[in-house]
Amino acid sequence: MFYQYSEDQNAFRDSLRRFVQDHYDYETRRQRLEKSEVFNADYWRQLAELGVLGLPFSETDGGLDLDFPYLMAVAEEIGRGLVLEPVLPVTVAGRLLAASNSSDAKSHLAALISGECLVSLAWEESSSRGNPLLTQCTLVTRGDGYVLNGKKQAALAAAESQFYIVSARDSGGDLQLLLLNAKHSGITQRCYLLADGNSAADLEFNNVELPASAIIASASQAEALLQTAISESIVVMAAEAIGAIDQLLVITQEYLLTRKQFGMPLAMFQSLQHRFADMVIAAEKLRSLLWAACQQLGSDNQEKAAAQLKVQLGESARYVGQQAVQLHGGIGMTDELNVGAYFKRLTVMELLCGQQDYHLGKLAELALVS
Amino acid sequence: MMSNQLSELDTFRREVRDFLESAATDEIREAGRKTTSVFAPFKQAMAWQKILYNKGWVAPAWPVEYGGTGWTIHQRYIFVEECNRLELPPVLPQNIQMVGPAVIGFGSEEQKAKYLPGMLSGDDFWCQGYSEPGAGSDLASLKCRADSDGDDYILNGSKTWTTYGHHANKMFALVRTSSEGKPQQGISFLLLDMNTPGIEVRPIIGLDGEPEQCEVFFTDARVPKANRIGEENKGWSVAKYVLEFERGGSTFGAWLTPAFERLRARCQQSNESGVRLIDDVSVARKLAKLEVDISAVEHTEKRVNANLKHGENPGPMASLLKILGSEVMQQYSELQLEISGVDALAQQHSALHVESGIAAIGSEADMLAMPYYLNTRAASIYAGSNEVQRSLLAKAVMGA
Ligand SMILES: Cc1cc2nc3c(=O)[nH]c(=O)nc-3n(C[C@H](O)[C@H](O)[C@H](O)COP(=O)(O)OP(=O)(O)OC[C@H]3O[C@@H](n4cnc5c(N)ncnc54)[C@H](O)[C@@H]3O)c2cc1C
Repeated sequence: MFYQYSEDQNAFRDSLRRFVQDHYDYETRRQRLEKSEVFNADYWRQLAELGVLGLPFSETDGGLDLDFPYLMAVAEEIGRGLVLEPVLPVTVAGRLLAASNSSDAKSHLAALISGECLVSLAWEESSSRGNPLLTQCTLVTRGDGYVLNGKKQAALAAAESQFYIVSARDSGGDLQLLLLNAKHSGITQRCYLLADGNSAADLEFNNVELPASAIIASASQAEALLQTAISESIVVMAAEAIGAIDQLLVITQEYLLTRKQFGMPLAMFQSLQHRFADMVIAAEKLRSLLWAACQQLGSDNQEKAAAQLKVQLGESARYVGQQAVQLHGGIGMTDELNVGAYFKRLTVMELLCGQQDYHLGKLAELALVS
Repeated sequence: MMSNQLSELDTFRREVRDFLESAATDEIREAGRKTTSVFAPFKQAMAWQKILYNKGWVAPAWPVEYGGTGWTIHQRYIFVEECNRLELPPVLPQNIQMVGPAVIGFGSEEQKAKYLPGMLSGDDFWCQGYSEPGAGSDLASLKCRADSDGDDYILNGSKTWTTYGHHANKMFALVRTSSEGKPQQGISFLLLDMNTPGIEVRPIIGLDGEPEQCEVFFTDARVPKANRIGEENKGWSVAKYVLEFERGGSTFGAWLTPAFERLRARCQQSNESGVRLIDDVSVARKLAKLEVDISAVEHTEKRVNANLKHGENPGPMASLLKILGSEVMQQYSELQLEISGVDALAQQHSALHVESGIAAIGSEADMLAMPYYLNTRAASIYAGSNEVQRSLLAKAVMGA
């Protein structure tokens, strides 16, 4: 069992932290968002040069073949610095491509790792409410190929991506994963910023005609790949949340020690001390389950551990986010202080990849069959 | 309640409903629906205030001789319920609930004649200049100086979190006129024109990306002493009087109940895949629990009101109601966000603006869920933070 980063992982994390500090100060981030400049191609290239985009890929795929905690370390720094570039969703999408048996899919990995190509995994739907197996997207045979219809919601990094991985059900009821070019005719993108400033899009597929080779995984393999991608998404999201939460604790602690009311620092008020202690407890519970889930990746327990982690993420992200705002008083409600930006990022994470109730339901079902 | 009383109230409710339905324009209703904080969109809130003013219903809690309606506390509650049932924009509280009572209680006859009509009609909008960067919960430590100079005060300092300061033509402010004695003793209550030379307003962008609060800076701004309400250095008593003016005016339940009914109705509709959220037992149970909490708010408010003797003030129950009401409102905002789920994620600034003519990406309710959730975090911060209210309640109840 391991519950912390190795020396090498820490060293890598430190180098990335410096990069983030240099490129993502809060004012610059605000100005970028004002201009809706959510993706900076130059930063993306630099991240690729730092090796950030190739960590969890085999050397044959062009990657660095490093353990998953390296990606978690990246995620933490992304959370701490509120990085807008979609490193995490693109990396998880890339890992799905790498895990498929499709040579077509794998052929994009080199470009993904070098930063020339982005891929978006589009599986969330309005009515699926977190369940990746509940898709309304349909795939019907036509001639030698297929026709895709349906909608995806809040596909991360879709606006910047050249390729989409899309889940759909065929007429036999089997899940299929498809790889399509973003420019393929019949696809409409509705791009927007999420509440936290990250970029996403709703995708609509209107009689999109695809060759048979567009399918990169079918039936049980498609389900397994998708579930693994979601488990991995949850783990990196939780690591990102930990980065954000740790930073919120630092900011809040500093504020409580310096802000004075009634002639003394807020930190002197016992009710606020207790509140801060509860925030720390929420953070540590999430950190523990993060490492627990990280250790289960690739095992039979992966889905259960990820579900537990997402439940805790929902609780910790909400509590720490809300209380950080509360303890700042009026200034916490503004866009001018970064506290609100962390709160919004944490709130969005609560809603993505299935909410707490969905994962509790899943855990309850797992308990029934075990 | 006795049955004949009930039917009288029912008649009253019908009368109110009929008027509201006929008087609210589409634009006002859109603004009501798109109200994502306690402060409705400015322009339409003022237009609605004017309509209520013309009807004579704008200030139900004011004494009749100053323009009040003479309604009982139960009628006032019904009025708020009916306004919320139709999702109308609430009248902004500053004129009617804050500065008006101060002038009624402490103003000279001349001041009353000069200021009250514009407050009621909405021809003036008054912003509240209490908080300062260094004086929030500890309001009495405020520093904005008003130095005596003949018949005038000269103001230097700043105010912050001034809601709609950028829309206001007037401000009521607490300023420091003396630094002797206890901090509360050197404060005066001043009325001023926002176009006074030496006043500068800077809007602050909120969590939802919209300006709502402002910073206001004073540099040698000259305000006539005749604009002071009450005696010099006695402004703290004026401010305290305002807080107690409404006596049982808490109406969180009147807002929450109709809002909850709309939320439940949404969950009873089938989504694209023919699924009703209410059939999900975890959603149904959460709705049920929220309904219990809202009932507790509503009946606590009504119980407090029913037990108030005329003119009495609810004492520590006011703190209790503020904590309870604001926190259940926050729970409501959380459940609403959970119900919208990923559909609540898109930022939609333009579509949120009244009369933008831009359709929401999904449903209007989904578009509103996130800004409402974010803004409702303020409910435990303003009007006496819930930490401060808990201390007051504990002190009053424990007597320690
Ligand atoms: C949306 C919004 C609208 C507002 N509109 C106006 C307006 O129009 N006019 C105006 O004058 N003001 C307005 N305010 C300001 C509001 O009144 C203040 O935010 C409030 O008084 C808290 O002060 P503060 O923000 O300085 O926080 P602080 O007082 O610094 O408090 C920070 C935190 O410390 C806690 N705390 C402080 N003292 C204690 C204590 N003794 N024990 C335990 N905990 C404590 C608080 O509860 C809070 O959680 C508005 C605020 C908001 C958020």
